[in-house]
Amino acid sequence: MVEVLERGSLKVDLLRFKYKNSLTDIFSSLNFKIERGEFIGLMGRTGAGKTTTMMLLNGLVPHFLEGDFEGNIIANTMNTRRYRVQTMARFIGLVLQDPETQIFGITVEKDVAFGPSNLAFGKEKIREVIGKSLKAVGLEGYEKRMTSELSGGEKQRLAIAGVLAMEPEILVLDEPTSELDPAGKEEIYKLLSGLKKKGDVTILISGHDTEEMLEYADRIIVLDDGQKIWEGRPTVLFKNVVLTKKVGIRPPEVTEIGNCLKECGLLDQGSVFINRNEFLQFTKKNLLSFKTSDNGSGKGHSVGNDSIAIETRDLSFNYEQKNSALNELNIKIHKGEFVALIGKNGAGKTTFSKQLNGLLRPTKGTVYINGKDIGRLTTAQLSKEVGYVFQNPDHQIFSATVYEEVEFGLKKMNLSEKIRSTRINSALEFVGLEKFTKRHPFTLGKGERQKLAFATVLVMEPKILIIDEPTTGQDWDGTNKMMRMLDKLHMQGHTILMITHNMILAAEYADRVIVFSNGKVLLDGPPEKVFYESEILKSASITAPDCVILAAELRDTGYKNYPVTINKLQNDLLEQLARKGNVN
Amino acid sequence: MLIEYYPSESYVHKLDVRTKALGFLVFTIISFVFLSPVINLLIVVCACVILFTIGTPFLGIKKIIKPLLPIFIFMLLITGFTYPASNFTSEENQKTLFSLGTIPFTLGGFLYGITLVLRILIMVITSTIVTYTTPIEDILQLLKRIKIPHQFAFIIATGIRFIPTMQKKSEMIQEAQKARGAEIGTDGFIKSIGSYITVLIPLIVDSLRMSDNLAIAMLNRGFGAMKTTTDLNEIKMKRRDYLICFGEVILIAFAFWLRSKNIGVL
Repeated sequence: MVEVLERGSLKVDLLRFKYKNSLTDIFSSLNFKIERGEFIGLMGRTGAGKTTTMMLLNGLVPHFLEGDFEGNIIANTMNTRRYRVQTMARFIGLVLQDPETQIFGITVEKDVAFGPSNLAFGKEKIREVIGKSLKAVGLEGYEKRMTSELSGGEKQRLAIAGVLAMEPEILVLDEPTSELDPAGKEEIYKLLSGLKKKGDVTILISGHDTEEMLEYADRIIVLDDGQKIWEGRPTVLFKNVVLTKKVGIRPPEVTEIGNCLKECGLLDQGSVFINRNEFLQFTKKNLLSFKTSDNGSGKGHSVGNDSIAIETRDLSFNYEQKNSALNELNIKIHKGEFVALIGKNGAGKTTFSKQLNGLLRPTKGTVYINGKDIGRLTTAQLSKEVGYVFQNPDHQIFSATVYEEVEFGLKKMNLSEKIRSTRINSALEFVGLEKFTKRHPFTLGKGERQKLAFATVLVMEPKILIIDEPTTGQDWDGTNKMMRMLDKLHMQGHTILMITHNMILAAEYADRVIVFSNGKVLLDGPPEKVFYESEILKSASITAPDCVILAAELRDTGYKNYPVTINKLQNDLLEQLARKGNVN
Repeated sequence: MLIEYYPSESYVHKLDVRTKALGFLVFTIISFVFLSPVINLLIVVCACVILFTIGTPFLGIKKIIKPLLPIFIFMLLITGFTYPASNFTSEENQKTLFSLGTIPFTLGGFLYGITLVLRILIMVITSTIVTYTTPIEDILQLLKRIKIPHQFAFIIATGIRFIPTMQKKSEMIQEAQKARGAEIGTDGFIKSIGSYITVLIPLIVDSLRMSDNLAIAMLNRGFGAMKTTTDLNEIKMKRRDYLICFGEVILIAFAFWLRSKNIGVL
């Protein structure tokens, strides 16, 4: 069969691929085609093969990462078997996950110039593409800045600019939004769809961002276990509950309500909501009107008791050069509370948390843990009371086996061998790693390393736990597992502080939400209150969970509750529909 | 180790990398020509004037000099005790300041020690001036001009680019260890060496993984796609560069002339 492929198109015909020295990660029959100018989302669990698939497209697999490869991949009319990766790079730009290892220049401008100068573009041309690509990613005026001084989000955008500057016909991005706050995430997708509209850039992006994929992608390709198991329009994918559950993709919140109504026989097959308008039309069509205002708010969680676990008085903090990072914070956190700290990147959440175990010391003010001023205690001394789980597990792993890793903190504690091993085993059991005690930590998957990092802190048995973005870069399954663990600890009476960008999780699990903005507390209260302050949230670039927006839009119909989780809204709806009698 | 490049508009920043490199060489060679600390002290003063007028952060310099101090003292002691009086031409310098048992500590040896210390200071300060005012790309072009392979130069540049990254990583690892009960930097010298080793291991593991990702990212950016690469800002000698280079040559010739007249010996 003779097929004429257009420039900017992609055609993958992979018969099989297996990494050298690997027993797993086997790909078999992966076939798909992408036309010029399409915007394609690549979804699936962590470990489903998304990154490998992307590396196949410019020949990194199998030229650089070798293995047993059979098949043909044709990108921009070029078969990857016949070209070097560097040559492909001119036409197909690949942005990988970690921006840190994709930045070569010492200044922003020099970094963007790296690609084009490797391709020996003329000097004038290089100047032109630097300007253009920095503008495209919103980094105008950053030309002379040092790359080491950029924030995480800025680095991510610079990594994209560096590839854009090579003027590729196809742009491939591997989870470019995993470390960004919601506003930054939205910006990246907007930027990409802008590029798509302007030129004929073909875009392939992977990620777990349900709402954005729904809005921007023309088509979604779903991978599972190294195979393509589904391909089609995002609206069709997200309606398919069975499929999304099977492949670990989170459906939009409004679709969950639709599915629930369908299960109750209140909706036709196939008419599940995919966006808010459909939902509102449904409520209008059924002339739903709420008269009752039953108040079932509160989650039935054990809300904290009276004694105070953490207190800060007039806490201020400045980094050496920068302006004040924390500004006169007075926060009291009760024992047993589950607090979510939210806010933009750089709002002061992590800086605040690090004050609580002495990793950073206040410039002014005092921190009390369980009533004690911690000014004279070292972080190590506090480690028995305050456990701190950092964001990146790889900076928390130092030992040769999983068991030794968990033992690290106990060594300094003068415990008998027996108590030690019971503690270690129970911590490992709690996170579900009991089978891996002899393994080397770096042979575990990323999600498992995160759990290990969690276990290393749990083993110290602190009553206060601070967790910095426990779900970053995890798929929906991994996120749920992690949250269930936190919930269990909360039930056992631990005080939990969780830094997160995921509003759905904050709404569902926390008793209390504290919104940071520019080193100050903007809002502080139960999620039912905080998430309904839409104006203030907007000023901190935070978008409330969908169900809050839905509830707000139902106000016309007389709905008076303040649900923050889909379940709550769903129940209210069902109750109302039942009261009204038959629908449809 | 050295202070990193910082973009600014100072008069040294505007000079060509070759002018600065020549200046570094001239200062260093002169410091080796003379044995008397007086002339070397003069050079140190000159270098310091340049260093501070271009706005180098004082803290950074302190950080570099501080670990050298014990070495300086050690050098003074060694030279003072080990240089026999017969080594010096002037009578003044043959004098013994004090003796430790039978070993005399000579004034000449002490002065020679000062000269050695000043030589090191001169090299540290002048190289700081160069690294603080010259973007690494310019230094790479200089290497390219003297026919050092591009790949080699690129390795150096990337190494420098990753210094702050590695520093940040090591901080994060130390924080994680402290949060798990490790006392770092509070345990006395030997123990703290031990705790630094536990920092080093994850750091090395991490850099190995990073280097793999880096290689992939290089290919993604077309490294090695073409036989040549484009330099965005080609280094260029201006009139002031030629003038200063001329001055530098005169200076070194003058230094050799003075030395030939037996000035600046001990």
